[in-house]
Amino acid sequence: MPGFLFDVKVLELADEKGEFCGKLLAGAGAEVLKVEPPGGNATRSLGPFYHDEDDPERSLYFWHYNFGKRGVTLDIHAPEGTALLKKLIAECDVLLDALPLDTLEKLGLDWDALQQLNPRLIYACITPFGRSGPWRDYKANDLVHLALGGPMMCCGYDPKADGSYDTPPIAPQMWHAYHITGNQTFIAIVGALIGRETHGNGDMIEMAVHQAVSVCTEIDVPNWIYNQTACYRQTGRHAQPAVGPDVQFPTQDGRYSIILPNPFPGGYETLVDFLDSKGQAADLKSEAYQDAADRRGRAFATHFAEVQAGCVAAFDMEEIWRDAQSLGIPWSPIRKPEENLDDRQWQMRKTFCEVDHPELDESLTYIGAPMLPHEVEWRTGPRAPLIGEHNDEVYAGQLGLDADEMARLRERKII
Amino acid sequence: MADLTWLLAGAGGPRLLASLGAEILRVEWRERLDFLRYMPPFAPTKKDEHAQAGAMELSSLSKDSVQSVNRGGYFNDINAGKKGLSLNMGHPKGRELFKRIVAVSDVVVEAFTAETMRKWGLGYEQLKEIKPDIIYIQQPGWGYKGPYVKFASYGPIAQAVSGLTEQSGLPSPHPPAGWGYSYMDWSGAYYCALTMLCAIYYKKRTGKGQYIDCSQVEPGIYMTGTALLDALINKRPSQRTGNRSPNTPAAPHGAYRCQGDDRWIAIAVTSDEEWRALVRVMGQPDWTRDARFDSLAARIINQDALDRLVTDWTTDKDPFALQQDLQRAGVPAGVCQTAQDRIERDPQLRHLEWLIPLPHSEIGTWPVKDVPFHFATATVNQGGPTERAAPCYGEDSDYVYGELLQLSQAERDALVEEGVI
Repeated sequence: MPGFLFDVKVLELADEKGEFCGKLLAGAGAEVLKVEPPGGNATRSLGPFYHDEDDPERSLYFWHYNFGKRGVTLDIHAPEGTALLKKLIAECDVLLDALPLDTLEKLGLDWDALQQLNPRLIYACITPFGRSGPWRDYKANDLVHLALGGPMMCCGYDPKADGSYDTPPIAPQMWHAYHITGNQTFIAIVGALIGRETHGNGDMIEMAVHQAVSVCTEIDVPNWIYNQTACYRQTGRHAQPAVGPDVQFPTQDGRYSIILPNPFPGGYETLVDFLDSKGQAADLKSEAYQDAADRRGRAFATHFAEVQAGCVAAFDMEEIWRDAQSLGIPWSPIRKPEENLDDRQWQMRKTFCEVDHPELDESLTYIGAPMLPHEVEWRTGPRAPLIGEHNDEVYAGQLGLDADEMARLRERKII
Repeated sequence: MADLTWLLAGAGGPRLLASLGAEILRVEWRERLDFLRYMPPFAPTKKDEHAQAGAMELSSLSKDSVQSVNRGGYFNDINAGKKGLSLNMGHPKGRELFKRIVAVSDVVVEAFTAETMRKWGLGYEQLKEIKPDIIYIQQPGWGYKGPYVKFASYGPIAQAVSGLTEQSGLPSPHPPAGWGYSYMDWSGAYYCALTMLCAIYYKKRTGKGQYIDCSQVEPGIYMTGTALLDALINKRPSQRTGNRSPNTPAAPHGAYRCQGDDRWIAIAVTSDEEWRALVRVMGQPDWTRDARFDSLAARIINQDALDRLVTDWTTDKDPFALQQDLQRAGVPAGVCQTAQDRIERDPQLRHLEWLIPLPHSEIGTWPVKDVPFHFATATVNQGGPTERAAPCYGEDSDYVYGELLQLSQAERDALVEEGVI
């Protein structure tokens, strides 16, 4: 089956700011060609590594974020390299640029020049802070973006009883600044592709990681806009104007569960019956709490949370949540990523896939698709390209360079 | 687009399509309103009046406790650019009316619990009969295929099960810190939007509609791929590393306390060059010449000591001045900004016009978060075709039933009488 974007060609010039977007485009069926400098992209030096071998062909980071793409090497700064880059740009639908600020402009490839090369081109340019503005030259990484953009001040641990914090705000790890950016850039690119179907023209998309991250927090911004009220971070739950009831409790096996209330009518009664069925309702079935009016206020909320905590503590993490969920009670385990592999839900949906690494004579398990389409296929392979793996296919096959030219470009380290 | 979603994970997807110009018909019924319509913060009715700030507890919210269901600030942001109509899907005539809406729609998107649409006779097969090239997106928590079809999911659940919560926080024995907001609601919204857009593109190219099961949990799993590979290949179970760089050598790398109440600056030094720049900004104190810190590898081994020394230096500094000094010297650094910082102080966000004023028919004009993408040619902003923030309840019913579906005034009056619209 073809993918959603079966006839779209993408040229990717990207570091970690843009590789996730390219991965999504490949997953959605586009043919993504990744251009790396001779010797390989800098993101090949990001760990972790296959069997901890620090080698540009062994970066698990690179493998995850680049599978489904083809790859060529090209020194775009050498005049001959720039000329080849122009040929590639002329043949693609989307140019995904997450190179350091102004790189293409310095090569004479500003938006006007790109349009002349390819009037139907959709040019997506990702920068840390924007192509203009007082912070345009600021340096950042994932941590700094999550700080400036707001997520960090929402994430962390409860304050002490006096309201002060003895722990720092926390940046959730895993390159989320770039996930957030990649998701939203993808939306803009496909929007532009749809627009092109109507009017025939390309467009340029500017995306600043800082703005993408800044719009990805939740109630902190409206609370300030409407009430000038600050939100305070608290363990495992929403940052909000006051400390709310706990939702994260330790389980018998030393792990944690998330316990949310069922907000629908009858939710409380269902939950108490469930606790009772597990022998964990404590005194909640007693007369004292039969009337909803007796269940208002902080004291009851605290008691109710303690009873639920007691229930969770009597079971292992994976032992109880399914029974709760089957009654509409929103509980869940706090899993490590690898613990999802054993879950039947994802096995049935083929969320994970096997990807061949022929040069290792091994097949490895990857995360395959973020959704389940029925009429098209989400691309789940092949593995990330080796350095310059598709040079022959692209330069000789597609652009028609002869063997002599190829040899010369290799010798001069243009490719 | 017929929008049968609610909260953020569902309603956020159509929001993004509104920003790109799609006409979104948000279907609501007064007996089962979106919680966000009565969740604080609310727009004040009088100038200078602020609502009581309290903890957010979904279970204690009630539409009877608010004076109007049109004043929620959060709802206003999440539904900006949409049209709103009232329609009782629980009424047989309501479902007949909905079919007429489907007939003039490209996309139907819903986030009901399992089987609801099919029970109503509005499953994909039926929708296709009404509109053969319809795009039908279901956005369930865990997915419609699989044993958990009836399980509920909210942002915190999707984060917890996918592995994102476990990966956020200080190392054990600290518990996970998790996410201080529903990150997977936003991510759910992104995947809902990108799925719809992909399907629209596919339809433009092939003429074919389709059905997509777009769960909220799987995009979370999708973002944990590197940790999965590390665990499987290197037999190294995922572990939290606080604010330290988990996979790329970097030190110092963390949030450091500054002057003021709960003020912190993030500093990330990934190379010797950045380290030398930091040392210069710190005024070259003696300890920086210590062998414990003379290479990146040494600094990583001695991170505990390094973090204490850096904190000693930052503790009495103004975080914003420090950010400027460090950035000027080439050190990646940034204040852990609050919402107030981003709204009132951040010059870059102001330059990018990240908040745009949009009119609302009841509460007046308020800032709404714009989408972060800027186009050279296309006009894109969160007001969308309505040039308005969120709809009041039923605000566009007359447009939908009168103009779009061409029902006469008498027909509409009868439907109101029967409790259908």
